Amino acid sequence: MIAPLQNADCLFLSKENQAKVGYEALAVVEADTLLPLARDFLAAGYHLEDISGLVTRDGAVSAYHFAHFDIPGRAEVLVIAPLDNPSFPSIAAVYQSAEWHERETRDFFGFQYEGNPNFIPLLLSEDMVDVHPLLKAEGSLASLASIFSAEGREREVVKQAEGFTLLDAPVTEEPAPKVAEAPKADAPQKAESPVTPEAKPESKPEAEAQGAADSGQEGAGDA
Amino acid sequence: MHNTPLFPKDMKGDFYSCHFEKGKQEDTIILNLGPQHPSTHGVLRILCEMDGEYVLRAEPVLGYLHRMQEKMGEIKYPAQYMNNMGRVDYLNPMSWNWAFVGAAEKVMGVEVSERCEYARVIAMELSRIASHLVGWGAWILDLGATTPILYAFDDREDVLDIIQELCGSRLTNVYFRVGGVCKDITPRAVQLIKEFIPSMRKRIPMYHALVTKNMILRGRIEGIGIIDRDVCNRYGCTGPVSRGAGIAHDTRRAEPHSVYPKLDFNIPVYTEACSMARYKVRLDEIEQSLNILEQCIEQMPAEGDVLPAKNIKFNTKLPAGEAYYAVEGARGKVGVWIASDGGKYPYRVKLRAPGFCSLSCFAEVAKGMLLADAIAVLGSLDLVIPEVDR
Repeated sequence: MIAPLQNADCLFLSKENQAKVGYEALAVVEADTLLPLARDFLAAGYHLEDISGLVTRDGAVSAYHFAHFDIPGRAEVLVIAPLDNPSFPSIAAVYQSAEWHERETRDFFGFQYEGNPNFIPLLLSEDMVDVHPLLKAEGSLASLASIFSAEGREREVVKQAEGFTLLDAPVTEEPAPKVAEAPKADAPQKAESPVTPEAKPESKPEAEAQGAADSGQEGAGDA
Repeated sequence: MHNTPLFPKDMKGDFYSCHFEKGKQEDTIILNLGPQHPSTHGVLRILCEMDGEYVLRAEPVLGYLHRMQEKMGEIKYPAQYMNNMGRVDYLNPMSWNWAFVGAAEKVMGVEVSERCEYARVIAMELSRIASHLVGWGAWILDLGATTPILYAFDDREDVLDIIQELCGSRLTNVYFRVGGVCKDITPRAVQLIKEFIPSMRKRIPMYHALVTKNMILRGRIEGIGIIDRDVCNRYGCTGPVSRGAGIAHDTRRAEPHSVYPKLDFNIPVYTEACSMARYKVRLDEIEQSLNILEQCIEQMPAEGDVLPAKNIKFNTKLPAGEAYYAVEGARGKVGVWIASDGGKYPYRVKLRAPGFCSLSCFAEVAKGMLLADAIAVLGSLDLVIPEVDR
């Protein structure tokens, strides 16, 4: 197990199958724990690979990947905040590279990182402060469990705080009572669910959508 | 839309220069470098506060080549998105090909044949050589030497001939497919690689004689631009930048994947942590890649299906799940994180660009440096702006 996570105060901590998911440990921590945890990671010689956002039905997620130059194993740390107030502590004071990662995530998702020393737009234009391209419409949000605890996921839960159920495998209560009905009721929903208002090509027939996607790439590789 | 309180209306200049000017000291000037300056390798812009010839503070301004690649990942099938992976880093597209395909295959639980793994390694190493050649030539060009880049492009043409034989394109290569590659390694490709290896090996000593030992170059880059282990840790610098800082870290060894454990190669490491160390790492890596290519040609099994299985079509969607996959690109660790809820398209695609992390340390490293040296350091990071901006 990744050393800094062992003594950390985690809501959820599990050992993952690195060959299958590409990281060794998954941790969910509370926002207050993040900064001390980042300090522990730096003290243990870990570097920050990236910070990325994710919006789910269960909240806004700021995801951190830590890795070590000499010790194998990657850690994925998630911090969950309410969707209507996606605010996280900045770890730029510990990992200076986080300043850019956090600014990028702000551009894409509108997340706030309290304490970032230079919190201005990074990749998107300064007049796009209200435009967050990776946010999803409410109807198309997935649950955390459907992504992180999908069927067939092998993990060994090391720690789980009482009352933290977001990563419990998707509830099995539904399929049991209505096995016959489930495919009918679910099929149209599933087809519709990924269609977000901003993703227009989806409404086209598939072949056409492919053409549109390809032609959209023209001139993208120049520099 | 335009109600950002950050924009001081009474100041001249654009948003970023106004913002940068806030901390300006007396008797200094603000110098705007780029985004169209040749030494910024594309469209990178750097704001510098100068005290005479010295950089007091610097701030890179990104986004001039931003294409929102991550959003495109959410509105396309994984197979369609491969086109984007040829375009994120136009000098080393195979690493992005592989990182995305690797993550998608992890989510799907697909494995490929051994021959396919060798084909992937061959493509990857060819791409690395081509990238290092341009990185080397263009950097020396920044420093005022015009000749080396002509040699570099001469050699690169040979590599591109092979890559063209593999996947049909010379730029924006999309050789990888989810579950395989697009075409088998042909006998002609093998022949071209066999011819290329000795010819490239002969060139490297010449490069050293022509450029590495040149006194002007040594004066410009030796001992300049120290990026040590501490900086690498705090900024997440990987690849030749970290190996130039004495860190023997290579994703091919640290996260053994594909057939790399079967191949015999060294990780070039230099401890000086200066621009010259990064320079030497890149040239040594070309030699190591040639060794890998040689072994691949010998060891590659003759049998094995390299094309994706028939049940993987262009509109095959990912099952629910998530995975992170990292490969060693020419510029460092290239990572792709895919999260899928089992919907039509991937739910989230995160691209971890090594150049983004390497560039983020520039502001700290350039402090107190001569402007000309700062440019030399910028070149030593081997940036590709489409990758930084994505």
